[in-house]
Amino acid sequence: MNPIETEIVVVGAGPGGYAAAFYAADKGKKVILVEQDKRLGGVCLNRGCIPSKALLHVTKLITEAKESTARGITFGAPKIELDKMLAWKESILEKLSQGIAALAQRRGVEVLYGRGHFEDSTTLRVETSSGQKFIKYETAILAVGSQPAMPSAFDLGNKRIMTSTEALELEEVPESLLVVGGGYIGMELGTVYATLGSNVVIVEAMNSILMGVDSDLIRPVKSYAEKAFKEIRLNTKVLKMETSGKQIKVTMEIEGAKKEELYDRVLVSVGRAPNCDDLGLENTKVVRDEKGFVKVNSKQQTSVPHIYAIGDVAGGALLAHKASREARIAVEVIAGEESVFQSVIPAVVFTDPEVAWCGLTEMEAREKGIQVTVSRFPWSASGRALSFDRPDGLTKLIVEPGTERILGVGICGSGAGELIGEGVLAVEMGATVKDLAESVHPHPTLSETLMECAEMFYGHSTHAFVRKRSPQE
Amino acid sequence: MQIKIPFLAEGVHSGTVVSILVKEGDHVKKEQTVLELETNKATAPIPSPASGTITKILVKEGVEISVGQAIMSLSEEGAAKEPAKGVGSKPAQEKEAPTITEAGDASEEYTYESKSGALPPASPSVRKMALELGIDLTKIRGTERGGRITVKDLKAYVQRLKAGSPQKSEKPAPVSIDFSKWGPVNRKPVSSTRRTIGQKMYESWTTIPHVTQFDEADITALLELRKKYAPSYEKKGARLTVTGILLKVAVQALKKFPIFNSSLDESKNELVCKHYYHLGVAVDTEQGLLVPILKDADKKSLLDLSIELAQLSEKARQRKISLEDVQGGTFTISNLGSIGGGHFTPIVNKPEVAILGVGRGIVKPIVKDGKIQTRTMLSLGLSYDHRVVDGADGARFIHEMVQGLEHFKEEYFTIRQVEEKKTAKKTTQKVKR
Repeated sequence: MNPIETEIVVVGAGPGGYAAAFYAADKGKKVILVEQDKRLGGVCLNRGCIPSKALLHVTKLITEAKESTARGITFGAPKIELDKMLAWKESILEKLSQGIAALAQRRGVEVLYGRGHFEDSTTLRVETSSGQKFIKYETAILAVGSQPAMPSAFDLGNKRIMTSTEALELEEVPESLLVVGGGYIGMELGTVYATLGSNVVIVEAMNSILMGVDSDLIRPVKSYAEKAFKEIRLNTKVLKMETSGKQIKVTMEIEGAKKEELYDRVLVSVGRAPNCDDLGLENTKVVRDEKGFVKVNSKQQTSVPHIYAIGDVAGGALLAHKASREARIAVEVIAGEESVFQSVIPAVVFTDPEVAWCGLTEMEAREKGIQVTVSRFPWSASGRALSFDRPDGLTKLIVEPGTERILGVGICGSGAGELIGEGVLAVEMGATVKDLAESVHPHPTLSETLMECAEMFYGHSTHAFVRKRSPQE
Repeated sequence: MQIKIPFLAEGVHSGTVVSILVKEGDHVKKEQTVLELETNKATAPIPSPASGTITKILVKEGVEISVGQAIMSLSEEGAAKEPAKGVGSKPAQEKEAPTITEAGDASEEYTYESKSGALPPASPSVRKMALELGIDLTKIRGTERGGRITVKDLKAYVQRLKAGSPQKSEKPAPVSIDFSKWGPVNRKPVSSTRRTIGQKMYESWTTIPHVTQFDEADITALLELRKKYAPSYEKKGARLTVTGILLKVAVQALKKFPIFNSSLDESKNELVCKHYYHLGVAVDTEQGLLVPILKDADKKSLLDLSIELAQLSEKARQRKISLEDVQGGTFTISNLGSIGGGHFTPIVNKPEVAILGVGRGIVKPIVKDGKIQTRTMLSLGLSYDHRVVDGADGARFIHEMVQGLEHFKEEYFTIRQVEEKKTAKKTTQKVKR
């Protein structure tokens, strides 16, 4: 059989892969997009960002209804129809992935459904439902993503031990749920299950949830989680899991002491691993790092210059928007343009309340010995935050002394994820605190917290009083 | 307080740190030398402005620093401890500008440096524009608040560069001339290969200061040897050519003078010396000049070189050459001898630093051993990048080439037993030519 010839083949149709394929097609390239799933969109759309946010939207309603009692409106107990809820979630995913398929078609991007396997550095074999197909390409973009890591000690083949993938399927609402790993996936999904009625226990091996995030930004999340979850156990290691009837017997070690407990279900959210196995990478000279991620340079090129890698498989922050940006870099380099990855990657944790940040964090500044000035604005001084009863928030700016340049922005609070965009723009544009303070922000909105935080820096925020400092102090 | 490089002398704006004479935690006295700086005038000792303890050293040996730049932090004797950093506290020295290069009014020596390690403040569009223009944003002094670089700053900088650059003549916009006014013509599009050649040549010619050194090598004896061994090579399906022999000789010369096997990394101000010998051979094809690379020429026998050379040239002519086959060269040979002509001045194949141009071997009357004899003389022209290679080295290298050709060892021609077997296989696979 004659191989199909193409300029570019993109392996994996997640937010990195389809962005790359579309952009390359827009630049006039012949592109084939290979996807092993039957639906486009990757983990983000099918088993990650989108479904988790849909579920969090639903559960937020439950929480708000409950909290309304204090504001004079009392609802009855919610009736949860899991099937209907999942069908609704499914319909969103279907709509989005069909949208991607339609966009591919209109751009003339050929989509090949099947598993891709590198025969050598110029040939990709694809196992489609209608047999093997061979693609001869000039350039390949590897965008195969990652999957939840499941340590072999926990991998009992028991469906009650779930990763995020199964947890999002939401087969049932277990009475008790153990979440192993207090990172953002564990915290977000823990919130979903807790709101639906599970007794959730979170265990984390380190000494804090959401490791790596500034502690002042986590504080509101912690106090919410302490109420919503049965328990948060830090410095705790899970040693063993065993099937015990319809439950899982979990052995953990809490500061030296062993403890055995029974749970109806367990969610393992201890990280993600790149999807590099069975891809035939050994038939190319693509080099991977010690954790298995594909090594790339700042132009997204692997050690084989005409094979690019973007998104999770290339390591770094495992975030959809990072993948999409890398897709653009890769395509621009392929098209012969000058392009390197130089962007600020924002991060958002969709807990209650949300946490979002971009650029330099206070923790990073401390670790690297970078001198910064931090300005904080508490949401308890924001009329908007009070008007919807969520004063538990904080906006802060990480500032370079002297130049007053904004190096980083951190926000915790309801809707922080929507607010951080302005922070990204400020950091990317090299804006100064004054730029932010002198831009008029609409009232009454949460965006004012950024402006007021900038004003705090100069000691004259309208809605928060700062003790006067002498200008030279 | 911070110890900074003081004003040293008129015209001295920067220097290289030769040695750092103290460690973090060391106690120093006022006027004690803490660092030695090599400037364009002399080596200058940098004294401590006060007595105290060195708390942090901010520079490394070997780096270039400018007047006004902070080199160390000093905790002064008797002075209060540095105020703790953190929330709300704004120590007085934070008011200092983080741009630590203040080379007076010599704005072209400006270098942006941030204590935070951040890139110069500029919007993504300005950064992209700078990337496309190959401009280093750290060299531009931004005029906006916080030193932010705007499009206007970038344009002004480019204008300044153009004004100050020796080749300020901008390429005029090409004008289309109607040649048919003077006689019949036909037009055809310039192929992409041709355009690439043009760009490469233009770039090399305009950015490398070329020098070409000529010489002639007496190859009479070499040609005799070639005649003697050609049949045995023929049997192996190989053609024994002067180019093949030149490859062998060039490798020896390159090993003796490694600078000719180097590249200049202008971005880092480093010379990259390569420990491999990948020789490019210019091939004349229908589409134009192509330069396939003969990898690891130092590890190959004359027979192997001859076979591979023929294969590569054939691939180039049939346009079957891959990108891999034309990348990674360390030195190039352009042999026009088979076509004709004498000395010529080849253009260095950037990022290499030298190229050998070979003309026709011509039978000439030559004075040898006090008598006029007829000898076959091969004209050689060695072009090199004068930023990297000095004239004396150029002369040495070409002399080495001449010697290598005139005293080419006969043993290089012999085909070893091991090769007998190896090539037996190769020849059977060989493409019919």
